[in-house]
Amino acid sequence: MYEFITGFMFWLALGVCLTGMIVRTILYFRGLQWNLDRVAYKAYPVEGFKGAIRSIYKWIMPFGTHGWRKQPFMTVIFFSFHIGAVCVPLFLLAHNLFLKEKLGFSFVSINGGVADFLTWLVVISTIFIILRRLALPEVRILTNWYDYLIIFISITPFITGLMARYEVGSYSFWLLAHIISGEILLFAIPFTKLSHVFLFFASRAQLGMDYGIKRGGLKGTVMDW
Amino acid sequence: MFKKILFATSATEASDHAARVAFNMAGPLGAHLDLFHVLGVPTRGFSQVVLDVKTKEEVAVDADYISWVEEEVKNYYANQLATGVDCSIKVAVGVPHREILRQAREIEPDLIILGGTTGADEDSVYKSSTGSTLQRVAKASPCPILVVNRPAASFWGGLSNIVFGTDFSKASDKAFEFALNIVTSLNCELHIFHALDISSKNMGMSMQQDEIDHKIREAYRMIRSKYVSKMKDYKNYSMNVWEGIPYIEIVKYTREKQADLIIMAHNSRKLDADGPKIGSNMEQVIMRANCPVISVNR
Amino acid sequence: MPEGIFCNKKPIETQEELTALLGDTSGAQYYKEMKELDVDTKLLWTTIQNTCKSRIRTWLEICAHCGMCADSCFLYLVNDRDPKQVPAYKIQSTLGEIVKRKGNVDNQFMLMAMETAWAKCTCCNRCGMYCPHGIDMGIMFGYLRGLLYQQGFVPWELKIGAGMHRVFRAQMDVSEEEFVETFQWMVEENEDEYPGLTVPVDVENADIMYTVNAREVKHYPEDLAEAAILFHAAGENWTIPSQGWEQTSLAMFAGDWAACKMQVENVYAAMERLKPKRMVGTECGHAHRATVVEGPYWAGRKDGKPPVESIHYIEWLAEALREGKLKIDPERRIKVPVTLQDSCNYVRNHGLRDVAREILSYIVEPGYYREMSPNREHNFCCGGGGGFNGIGLFRPQRNKGLITKRDQILATGAELVIAPCHNCWDAIRDLEEEFEIGIKWSFLKPLVVSMLELPDHMKPEE
Repeated sequence: MYEFITGFMFWLALGVCLTGMIVRTILYFRGLQWNLDRVAYKAYPVEGFKGAIRSIYKWIMPFGTHGWRKQPFMTVIFFSFHIGAVCVPLFLLAHNLFLKEKLGFSFVSINGGVADFLTWLVVISTIFIILRRLALPEVRILTNWYDYLIIFISITPFITGLMARYEVGSYSFWLLAHIISGEILLFAIPFTKLSHVFLFFASRAQLGMDYGIKRGGLKGTVMDW
Repeated sequence: MFKKILFATSATEASDHAARVAFNMAGPLGAHLDLFHVLGVPTRGFSQVVLDVKTKEEVAVDADYISWVEEEVKNYYANQLATGVDCSIKVAVGVPHREILRQAREIEPDLIILGGTTGADEDSVYKSSTGSTLQRVAKASPCPILVVNRPAASFWGGLSNIVFGTDFSKASDKAFEFALNIVTSLNCELHIFHALDISSKNMGMSMQQDEIDHKIREAYRMIRSKYVSKMKDYKNYSMNVWEGIPYIEIVKYTREKQADLIIMAHNSRKLDADGPKIGSNMEQVIMRANCPVISVNR
Repeated sequence: MPEGIFCNKKPIETQEELTALLGDTSGAQYYKEMKELDVDTKLLWTTIQNTCKSRIRTWLEICAHCGMCADSCFLYLVNDRDPKQVPAYKIQSTLGEIVKRKGNVDNQFMLMAMETAWAKCTCCNRCGMYCPHGIDMGIMFGYLRGLLYQQGFVPWELKIGAGMHRVFRAQMDVSEEEFVETFQWMVEENEDEYPGLTVPVDVENADIMYTVNAREVKHYPEDLAEAAILFHAAGENWTIPSQGWEQTSLAMFAGDWAACKMQVENVYAAMERLKPKRMVGTECGHAHRATVVEGPYWAGRKDGKPPVESIHYIEWLAEALREGKLKIDPERRIKVPVTLQDSCNYVRNHGLRDVAREILSYIVEPGYYREMSPNREHNFCCGGGGGFNGIGLFRPQRNKGLITKRDQILATGAELVIAPCHNCWDAIRDLEEEFEIGIKWSFLKPLVVSMLELPDHMKPEE
């Protein structure tokens, strides 16, 4: 069982996730049409590129934009969640050892304490994200079962990981659950709303190009995100 | 003299005095009277909706509504129209002063008679642009405009006595030409009048009587050289120079002469930001006079 | 009933159709017919498949439902934070649903979508600035309007407006002759005061070709006079085209893309015919957006630019003041508290955020200028953009929408609001009518004309 999910299933999940992301990113950019979107992407590659980079950069900085500054609570829980959600899977020592064994390379690893802290941060901010969804009418009206499913898929690997980490009950059960939920997450990324892990950059780049080219960029105006 | 008179009317009581003058003038003179009514001011951006100037309600204007209003105007003036005055009626939509000027450009009247407004806020929806309808029509009108403000100023009989008030400006020369034209064709008496302004010029300092006398003599000289010289053998005239606040003096003078009409030049080029409440001589005279006032601009 | 006499899927093509539709006062019958109008679901889905590509599909898909766009929308704010006014909800429940159901929606749904697209969004694009994913719901509403127009679900005034462009190549029934004649009239009216004032018509190779908004011609031609006076005073070599003079596009508000193309090509043809160095448009926001920002794409111009450099009136005015072509009498500068309305259509959507401010630095006495908050590209819509001002059916919603701007203006303490945009100007005028807060409002032209210092040879003889 363990062999199967860390072997074939792992390769499959990783393969599907990476291929899916690449294919979808390519499809995204191929689907951008200068005449339908009314943005002359190809005519101004430099301006477009600058606008895209800026649009992404500003929004991945905590409090980097008017939007983030306007909603500090959301900004804090958003970044707490996402920093952990990106860093822990990639830089946890155990993951890197696993990677090294499977792929022959690994990323830098973060200190175990930091990893614990970040994981707890992810769990706690998820609670707040759910509470926010329930509490604010403007978010509640947008929320449907699918949003909770996405949250569930995203958070299960962290919870199961923590359970395994603190060896609550059966370690091997939690480890197995952790790996399976992680693989489900990988499968889900290209096909669900989780596609935002890469399409975020695509979409932000697109609007950045729009502003960088058409909406003032060519006039020399740098968008005040 | 006047072959075509454009009478811009609100078709309400506010225009009744002006209407009396318009019909009384057009009839005897055999002039064609062009009754013109701006029914509403466009509102709601690009849409077809206008603010009815009478009811102050928003209405959707279409052909039916326009002909209905035309009928209303016709009914309102039924008595006057029954007298057989040569008269046509037109109803338009737009900003009043602009539509009056547009109509004037189209029919090229010899005189525009401006009726009263439907209230102080007649221009409320466009009040950001400066000046009252009167000011704006007066500023750009290609022909003289006649205004009746007070009921007492409306016009009952013919024209026999006309006051021409001058400040010796270029526009006043034009006004004089016009006045002379009227008196010679109607053979009535012309009173040439100048008021020496002792109010504002020397704020707080009263002029010496010698200086006043000197200026009065000078004004008489000016009247002789500028106007009397042009009157050739027309003898039915008088001239006076009084000192005081010009618009008060001219109103007093008109009363004393029992004149039927005042003719003046509309000098102010600039529009006043505060709407109808303005201090220029012209408007003050219009507000106070006991007879119709004709303003000549060019 | 499938197609009505007035309300149908066919655009207005002739003057007769236009007159007939105008005759249906306030669109009474039009809206009655609309309740019976069938949806061509097949056409709807085919259109979506052909035109809804990765940008919009991705936006619809990845929306995280986080609600961060809510506070960015003035209509959400003024409607007591009604969750149904959250931009993401508005677009997901309309365009999102149509795509999800593959175009299988009914009449009821389309009526709801029409109200959402025209009465709950002014396409000001502010929400796009506040979405972490960069989802611009204003753009999607523009797209949705196109789908609704194609199906005949469009407010009466905008069907007429688009029809006007199709028939007259202008937003109102103003012919080419009327345009030129009105311009000449205005020159005649002002030539005493400004000796030498002219209006050069169809002059080739001029430095400036000037385009306007048909409403100026129809209702307040003073604006044309002021434009002529300022070009004259600045010593510009300018001209007006007898054809292709209309810069606006109600077709854009209506979502009638074919009419947008016809309209803008008419202007571009004038540029190509007269070969001016530059085109200057009047003080209008959507006209600039239609002709300069979006127009090139409708006309299929790959570089995204009109045939000649095209600038907004404020850009020309700022330049003329900066270079000293126009001189301001310092005595006559504005000496009342004054604020500026940033037009979404050329500030947020074309980056002209500091140009009007430069002009104000020349014409306002130091110390009297007050900024609205927020301002520049973060400014709120005037409340009447995107066609909202002119739609009778949605008047109550529009009036409510003005509250944001009212409060913004009140907070500045300004007595005068400068609005170099027809739509904003209208909305602020209506706002004063509705709430009577005691403000004045103005375009830039009359203000600048009133404080102009003319060179001696341009002064009238006395």
